[in-house]
Amino acid sequence: MKAAFPYPTLFGDVSFEVTAVTVDGSPLPYTHVSKAEQTVALHQTGRDKWDVAVLHIRAALPEQELADGPWTDAVCLAVLTEKATNARTSGRLTRVQDGSWQGRIELVRNNHLNRASLSLTVAATLDNLPGRVIGTAERDWFVDLKVTTPVRQREIEIVEIDFREGDLEWLRPFKEAPWIVETTGEIPTVYLNTSAVEGLVEVLHGKGGSAEEKLLREMTSSQIAQDAWTAMFHTAISDLDLDEDGTPQMPGGWREPVLQMMLPDVLPGRQLTDALFDINERRTKGFGWSELQTSVQYAAGRRSQMTKKLAVATRSVNSVARGGSQ
Amino acid sequence: MSVEQGEAFGPWLGRQLRRATISQAELAKRLGITRAAVSAWIVGRAEPRDEHKRMIAEILGIDPEAVTNRTSDVSTNLPLTWHHRPAHADGGREYGNAAAFAFNADLSVLAREATQNSLDERHDLTRPVQVHYTLHEISGPHLDKFLDTLRWNELREHYDAAAGKNQKVSRSLKAALEELDRTRTTLLLRVDDYNAAGLTGPEYSDGRFAAVVRRQLDSHKESSRRAGGSYGLGKVTLWATSKFGLVMMNSTLSEPHEGRTERRVIGRLDLPWRTVDDEAYAGPAWFGEPDTSLEHPKVSRSWWADEETVRDLHLERPHSDAGTSFLIVGAYDASGDAASLQDMHEKLVRSLADGFWAAMVGGQRAGALLDARVTTMRNGQVLVPEQRVDPYSRHPALSRALKAYLDNDTVPERTSGDQVAQTDVPLFVTPLLNAPRVEGKGTEHRAVLLLTATDDEERKNRVVCMRGNRMTIMERRPRELPLGTDSFQAVLLAGHATENDGDDVQLAEDFLRASEPPEHNKWDRTEELTSLYRRGALSRIDDFKEEIDRAVRELVGRRETVTRGGPAVLQELLRLNSGGVSTGTRRAQGVPTVRSINARLDDTGAWHVDVDLKLPEAEDSWLLTPVAKFDVRSGGRPAVEWSLLTAADNCQVENGNLVIPAGTRSASFAGVTDPASHPVRGKLSRLLVDVQKARGGAR
Repeated sequence: MKAAFPYPTLFGDVSFEVTAVTVDGSPLPYTHVSKAEQTVALHQTGRDKWDVAVLHIRAALPEQELADGPWTDAVCLAVLTEKATNARTSGRLTRVQDGSWQGRIELVRNNHLNRASLSLTVAATLDNLPGRVIGTAERDWFVDLKVTTPVRQREIEIVEIDFREGDLEWLRPFKEAPWIVETTGEIPTVYLNTSAVEGLVEVLHGKGGSAEEKLLREMTSSQIAQDAWTAMFHTAISDLDLDEDGTPQMPGGWREPVLQMMLPDVLPGRQLTDALFDINERRTKGFGWSELQTSVQYAAGRRSQMTKKLAVATRSVNSVARGGSQ
Repeated sequence: MSVEQGEAFGPWLGRQLRRATISQAELAKRLGITRAAVSAWIVGRAEPRDEHKRMIAEILGIDPEAVTNRTSDVSTNLPLTWHHRPAHADGGREYGNAAAFAFNADLSVLAREATQNSLDERHDLTRPVQVHYTLHEISGPHLDKFLDTLRWNELREHYDAAAGKNQKVSRSLKAALEELDRTRTTLLLRVDDYNAAGLTGPEYSDGRFAAVVRRQLDSHKESSRRAGGSYGLGKVTLWATSKFGLVMMNSTLSEPHEGRTERRVIGRLDLPWRTVDDEAYAGPAWFGEPDTSLEHPKVSRSWWADEETVRDLHLERPHSDAGTSFLIVGAYDASGDAASLQDMHEKLVRSLADGFWAAMVGGQRAGALLDARVTTMRNGQVLVPEQRVDPYSRHPALSRALKAYLDNDTVPERTSGDQVAQTDVPLFVTPLLNAPRVEGKGTEHRAVLLLTATDDEERKNRVVCMRGNRMTIMERRPRELPLGTDSFQAVLLAGHATENDGDDVQLAEDFLRASEPPEHNKWDRTEELTSLYRRGALSRIDDFKEEIDRAVRELVGRRETVTRGGPAVLQELLRLNSGGVSTGTRRAQGVPTVRSINARLDDTGAWHVDVDLKLPEAEDSWLLTPVAKFDVRSGGRPAVEWSLLTAADNCQVENGNLVIPAGTRSASFAGVTDPASHPVRGKLSRLLVDVQKARGGAR
């Protein structure tokens, strides 16, 4: 979707980067900051309890355009937000000698849960109206409180734990299950039970092994993935925010990539918003909901490479059988 | 006595006798003394009485005062001439200088080689050596005067003879001569260095002068053992850059020769084998005074020129710092990418910055080694004013890294992108073949790796490896960098480039130099390495390169070691790619999208939009609903009504929907919103426009 402004905005690029981070006053190793990924990792910064992280920011604005344009009193603001906590903090950047804009913004630990977005906005006065947004940076930075490596792409958590006697009490009722998938949290998590089927987790971790071991490993992982993708899809399409005309908005976080990856298989040839609208209608009104399950299964199967793995497995069983008969 | 201004008596007398072709024995006879007494004067063991000095003045035909002062040479009437080397007695012929073919006659190569030679000859090690490149185009009277001084007319028949052969060198020579005749213009490129050793040493035997002027492939680098080159190839680029193979030299010596230091001048010409007036000539020719000694009859030797002559030869040196000026006559850039004077000027500045940015950076631990400038002139008028080569403007990140090291301002681990991280890289130097065996791999030298962030996308993620006078040997791309590594630039300093002291430094320097091919562009296996060092030398070089990569990986971050839990086979299946690109083929069908919106507000507050649509290939026609919404920061977006929808291209409007025929790939429409449906004033809104599949009665 494209947006139009009722006033002139900056055409040139607005970009910014985090140049340094201090946590409670001591500098964070730069390996926790990734310019390429545009992500800062604040987990395991050397101390478990910390209160405030200060991000130092440098921005580059199209200075010439800004100077020649109709705008006055340009202000450059860094904005830190997190949807989960509804936190919003801003920090003002000032122009320094070399022409860039620099400033700092505080991230208070208590205001955030998982991952904050850091954006940059340029506002200015136009037609005597102050505070008009005239430019924003193309891509936000992420400040992740839960990871030690600054990577933008989030992976699904896989936790290996003893359901029967492990630390997580809520897993006890599932002690018979070899795995379960949980999608209520900020990041979907697959829990592998180390005590239900002895040796299964070890086989999953293995790399070579006998043909039978390989077969078991491939088929089980595919099965787990099938469960995970199905559960994630259902969670992703529940609780959608709607526009006033009833069109659902694309959800944030991990839900967005899940829907982007699966919707084209669930409802082929449809615009994402159209597909979301359709699915939301079926889910809330009930008609056509059961028909959808077939497509969801199909989409999850594609993601878990069920057909490919089965084909390989079948071939290997055939060759084992032939080898045995000779 | 005013002897302090003049030179010692002995060398002076020796030279005057030679110039006057009077032997020592003859002088002794005419003075009525023994030959041994004359010899004692010349070697400086004794000085003659005033009576004898007067007689000497008489014999030489000069003023007695001149014998006392000895500030100038007598008999200045020795004519400057070109001496062409006679052909080899064995009939061998060279149709060009083989060493010259080892290089491209490219200005950047010249800048690299000539400047490296100047760096290697730095005289006062507390100051940088200064190099100054001057491009000077001359024509008309300027050219005529210059060629007269050069005795071009004497040379011309040799040139014409050499150009007549059907050889590579001859053909380009012919073209150059024709161009000179046609345009009456030529380009002089002068390469000056100051605070360098200058062309010291005797006329013919070992020394810097003979190495440059008389010999091929004589490296003769003695000054500091830090020298970059070791093959003696570099100087040939001076001649290769001249279309006429002609270079004039004026040197101010750092140590006196024949008792003098300033304005030692000689010219050298490299031509292919040729015959002139039935005489065959081998190749080179020299411009200078005819030698009057018996060992080298008629050979042109360097002379101590007066100020007027050096001015006429465009070889005047503005101050008396030691060093050499090379004047390349008919300079050109054979690569062809610098045609105009400005282009050549820029190319020189660029090449100097690329090749020697490191030598131009100074700090507390060690100063800059080099200061480089480029000027361009035309017929005596400045065309591009003197430009100092600034390492920071062309290589900001690398220069910053080196400066931080020289200022002891590096950190073990970066906490901000601009910081420079430093770590050691071990190099084990294998013992020499004739040296005693040592335990282990050899002597350990700790090279220094510096790493910092860069914005330069083109030259990112490389390690610039250098040694000696901060001479760049190679640029290495480290292997197995973790994915998503931030752009960086790194510098590796080995040997003397570390500015450290210790026995290992010289050992490492020699070891690495031995591992370089003539181009000095990599550390690899060479014959020298295997013939000089004990077994294992090759592996040590390979180890060293691996250590460099490892150190880089360590400094850019340990991200590669971090793995998230779970079996790899499962992780693979559960990857979320935020790009949202499906592996399936069905996505390729695509969907209609808004390509661009052109929007404005009118006085009533209504939005007027012109919208371009992009459509995928489809067999059916499209029925699409254009939707306008106001953008909000969070929550549901309010939809606004259209008061008018009009089709522009490739579509029709029916009941608020767009009908687009099958097979159409683009369409456009115009719309006006209804201000009454706006939840806020249009002026305070941001408008979103989208097209979605018509929902029929769904709304």
